[in-house]
Amino acid sequence: MSVLARSVGNAFRNKVRTAAVVAVLAVAIGLALAMLVANQAVGAKVQELNASVGTVLTVNPAGVQGFEGGGEPLTAEQAATAADVPNVTAVVGTKALRLRNATEAAAQTAAGTLAGPGGGQGGPGGQTTTTLTTSLTAAVDAGTLGARNQDSSGTTGTTGSTGTTGTTGTTQPARSLPITATGTGAVVDSTGKALVLTSGTGLGDYTAESTKALLGTTLAEKNNLKVGSTFTINSKTFTVAGMFDAGTTFGNNALYVTLPTAQTLAELPGELSTMIVTVDSMENVDTAKTALQNALGTDKADVTQGQRNLETAVTSLDSVKNISMVAFIAALGTAGLIILLIMVMLVRERRREIGVLKAIGAPNRTIGLQFVLEALVLVALGSVVGAVIASFASGGIASALVSSSTSTTAAPAGQRGGGFAGAADGFPGGQGGPFGGASQLLTSVTASVSPGILAAGIAAVFGVAIIGALVPALLTARIRPIEVLRGE
Amino acid sequence: MIEVKDLVRTFKSGDRTIKPVNGVSFELEQGTLASIVGKSGSGKSTLLSLLGALDKPTSGDVVVNGVSLAGMPDGKLTEYRRRDIGFVFQQFNLVPNLSALDNVMLPMEFAGVRKATRAERARALLEQVQLDPDKHGRRINRLSGGEQQRVAIARALANEPKLILADEPTGNLDEQTGEHIIELLSSLSRDHNTTILVVTHDRTLANKTDRRFRLQQGRLAEEPVRGRAAEPAAV
Repeated sequence: MSVLARSVGNAFRNKVRTAAVVAVLAVAIGLALAMLVANQAVGAKVQELNASVGTVLTVNPAGVQGFEGGGEPLTAEQAATAADVPNVTAVVGTKALRLRNATEAAAQTAAGTLAGPGGGQGGPGGQTTTTLTTSLTAAVDAGTLGARNQDSSGTTGTTGSTGTTGTTGTTQPARSLPITATGTGAVVDSTGKALVLTSGTGLGDYTAESTKALLGTTLAEKNNLKVGSTFTINSKTFTVAGMFDAGTTFGNNALYVTLPTAQTLAELPGELSTMIVTVDSMENVDTAKTALQNALGTDKADVTQGQRNLETAVTSLDSVKNISMVAFIAALGTAGLIILLIMVMLVRERRREIGVLKAIGAPNRTIGLQFVLEALVLVALGSVVGAVIASFASGGIASALVSSSTSTTAAPAGQRGGGFAGAADGFPGGQGGPFGGASQLLTSVTASVSPGILAAGIAAVFGVAIIGALVPALLTARIRPIEVLRGE
Repeated sequence: MIEVKDLVRTFKSGDRTIKPVNGVSFELEQGTLASIVGKSGSGKSTLLSLLGALDKPTSGDVVVNGVSLAGMPDGKLTEYRRRDIGFVFQQFNLVPNLSALDNVMLPMEFAGVRKATRAERARALLEQVQLDPDKHGRRINRLSGGEQQRVAIARALANEPKLILADEPTGNLDEQTGEHIIELLSSLSRDHNTTILVVTHDRTLANKTDRRFRLQQGRLAEEPVRGRAAEPAAV
């Protein structure tokens, strides 16, 4: 019988005790693994936030927010001015277009339900959106909300004066939602976040002659388009260069073309709907925002930190990350301590047996190794059960940590945010509390147990277990056979 | 050859100093079967522990085949026990959760004997001590006292040691098995040139040894056996 076989046999010498030890170890190891998974998940989220939205400022024409407001459009010259502001690392201009299916638009015009060009159908008051026709069909059905919004926008649109109800007694054709097309200077979404391409490539050359487009996955699917397929916007043919997944139904009912192309389609060269400004670090965001606002002029542009509260959110997530790491280390230490105590107990219990083994010539290292291996058998069993526990508990633990931290930090901040709602940041109907948008980002932290993290966690557990088992193993070296055999 | 030179072992018990072994000297030729008799608590087991390097003497020395055990480091003493000594303990001291076969294989494993060889040899030894083959794979705690004693003797023989130290090897055996064990020890000393020193209360066994010593108040005296005159012994 080898040392390993003897160690495995010894681990099961007292089955009830082994089960109890494994159960306790499993809880500690499971907690450690769950904390490690939570730590990794939160860390990844912090990295993601820091890498994208957290350092992004959005510049809109002064007085515009969403589809409301008025003022003058942004220009390429303002983009150049923004790029010269200290700490600004990138400026991406966008031009928003609104596309309607050409066939439906014609039918609705014939039925009298479509307001005049640029009006009706959500005609965006001060928004610089231009409505064009396309061969594409929207991937989202209008539904109750869409119909209600179109009714509302038709009556309130600034240029939509020809009525929304159409000819009395005429059956209105089914309405569909428009498709959002964005001309962009880089493969990023409206928040500055890199688009996740599921197939194909980027837009290539950002020239006015470009006929490449990136389509949302659901929009492409709805229209049976693949990479290389073609469609039209205002009779101009475009090729699908790639497809992206924005993660939302609305976001995937959209397409991207190059900025110059969008400006050409809208016949508004040099005009921008928004500018996405990236600042070099989160610490410089406030300074850069002020400098940018001053450089562009308060009467010309509104500079907003789309996710202003993210700094607080990231701080909160950082504390969650730290807490989870401390908890991981504590749980790891607990597992090591459990092993240490159990093995010390076993060594004391088996002093006589150790003495006998030494009396018949067992070297200290063989006996020590036997106890270390026995400890590792217990840890291996605990790790298996612990991994199962972690796979079920890590998501809940991560959520509990995040929500706990969020609620703790949101309370005082909420008071501050409430006082400035709609005034300082001017986000009507949005960003009410400082965690208005951030809470969604926080709750989107998903803890998944990847094999890599699991392996790393279990390796750490084994490392600690070896250290924990070495102490009692070294104790065995101090046992003199005559001391335990003298009883005879 | 074993030379014991003025061996002393003292213990402190409160203010008193106890000397279970007090200036013991003797020599044993290789292949001798010797016995030590004496009252309980006379220091027989202590002397056996000193000879087997389980304990260190307060003074004196044990020299085995010209090698002194005095001052030998623990690692070397372990190696000495593994290679040169076979113990048969009074309480058997077998590993309870292992089978009879595994217990006999243990010393061979520590000595680095190949697995196949040690299994084969362990079976042969268990047959030699007349343990039923059906019980070779049985756990120690499911064997009777006599069976455990036989396993303990087989384990002592595992590495073919030069010296076997046995503490009451027939104490838990029935008369017939005891007789067999005595014959086995005799043949080992005679045929394999193994030195065997037995601590015993068994007069039959003591009378069948080549030499018999009596330990009294820490001092050793040789007694005549088999009608032979006692050889001169250092006392």
